[in-house]
Amino acid sequence: MSARPITTVKTIVTGIEEAGTGVKLFTLADPDRWELPPFKPGAHIDLHLPNGLVRTYSLCNEPADNTRYVIAVKREADGRGGSRALHDDLGVGDVIGVSLPRGGLEPDARIGRYVLVAGGIGVTPFLSVARHLQRTAQAEFTLHLVVREEVPLAAHLGSLIEAGTVVVHRTSREGRPDLAVLLGDPGPETLVACCGPEGMTDDFERLTTAWPTANVHIERFVAPPPIIDPDAKPFTLSLARSGTEIQVRAGQTMLAALQEGGIDIATSCCGGICGACNVGWIEGRPVHRDRILSPYERERYLMVCVAGSDAERLVLDL
Amino acid sequence: MLDTVGAGSAQKAAQLGWTGVVRFLHLAPRAFLPMRAAETITLVAGKGIEGDRYMIGNEEGFYSHKPEEGRQVTLFELETLVALKRDAGIELGPEEHRRNVTVEGVPLNHLVGRRFWLGETLLEATRLSVPCRHIEEITGKAIFDPLINRSGLNCRILQSGIVRVGDTVRNAA
Repeated sequence: MSARPITTVKTIVTGIEEAGTGVKLFTLADPDRWELPPFKPGAHIDLHLPNGLVRTYSLCNEPADNTRYVIAVKREADGRGGSRALHDDLGVGDVIGVSLPRGGLEPDARIGRYVLVAGGIGVTPFLSVARHLQRTAQAEFTLHLVVREEVPLAAHLGSLIEAGTVVVHRTSREGRPDLAVLLGDPGPETLVACCGPEGMTDDFERLTTAWPTANVHIERFVAPPPIIDPDAKPFTLSLARSGTEIQVRAGQTMLAALQEGGIDIATSCCGGICGACNVGWIEGRPVHRDRILSPYERERYLMVCVAGSDAERLVLDL
Repeated sequence: MLDTVGAGSAQKAAQLGWTGVVRFLHLAPRAFLPMRAAETITLVAGKGIEGDRYMIGNEEGFYSHKPEEGRQVTLFELETLVALKRDAGIELGPEEHRRNVTVEGVPLNHLVGRRFWLGETLLEATRLSVPCRHIEEITGKAIFDPLINRSGLNCRILQSGIVRVGDTVRNAA
């Protein structure tokens, strides 16, 4: 039995492959090669690195390839340390925890044509999409890959380049391509998507403002800020027994704030119905939102997984 | 008085009214992994299901940090899957609810505290399961509310054996 909750999918590194200058492909699998949690084409996962860093990488294999997560990582010598840790410290057989996959393209039967625009290593999510579309033959697609000179993951893109579905634009020879020309005209059956450096995604966003939002997809390296209820306000938790204070950000659960503060709280359903995270409160105006406490019980207790505060300060019996 | 009446009613329902069938069997060796369908599973008394994440002594489940003797095997009603589709328009497959055994014709909510046969194995129901946000995270489906009061049954294994799809489920009073 583990003392701490299991919060990540346990994988082991089953392969590391050089895939161009400074790029390595890592293959992750379940220790028993069990099917991994499913993902959409172009989805990404968080890697929980041994040194405590959490980094997000796109999957470049396709959803039907369901016993592996394959990520391509470019070593950024001056980056924040995630890619260096992966390149320099991770070996075949090492165990690494990953998140459930997120994002990617929703399957949409109305789309008959995909235009994908990638900059450099931003090709990784679209390699997944391209493989998926090639296998399912559900729609036409063209992947425009803009690089300075060298094509990343060349060995994996080769057959797609030969087939003409991946078009390489080398800026060292031809300058930057005209994105508007690559995208063409908006249409209900066309989906356009972009993944690359910020300048490229900004241009793409500007060029597609007139397109229906459902037909435009941007895969960003940095997660967009979470959508927060405009009525949600931050508040302070004052812990009466331990004498400490913990800030709860707008939209954050009390439970998450307490856990960030190192307070161990028993939880189970995390939806306000099982009662595991019942905590006494002493002063303040809690907003309960649970489905089990009676009005009488609510005068003394709250469920930290769902409760909020209607006042700036809430005193808990912790 | 309610205690007496309640216990009596449950006892009568359990003794008189039902015989069910095992429709689906599923297990997974670790937290978050998709449940895999099986034609047979092996139940070990006092421990769990061979190869499942909640087998005592080899726990790798999402809730394994909270030990519970009654989580050796979990059951779910096929009728709930039908009701989710009918009443809430939610398609939930038997591999998605993350309980091990999907049964038909078994009044799970009546069996807490009682013993019953699952094929050749003998189980004792310890508590009703509650829905959890974890299952919404994994399935991406808003099923927390529709599963309140019908998200299955947690059981202890009293007698080991092999359970097969199609096995009979019956009262052991």
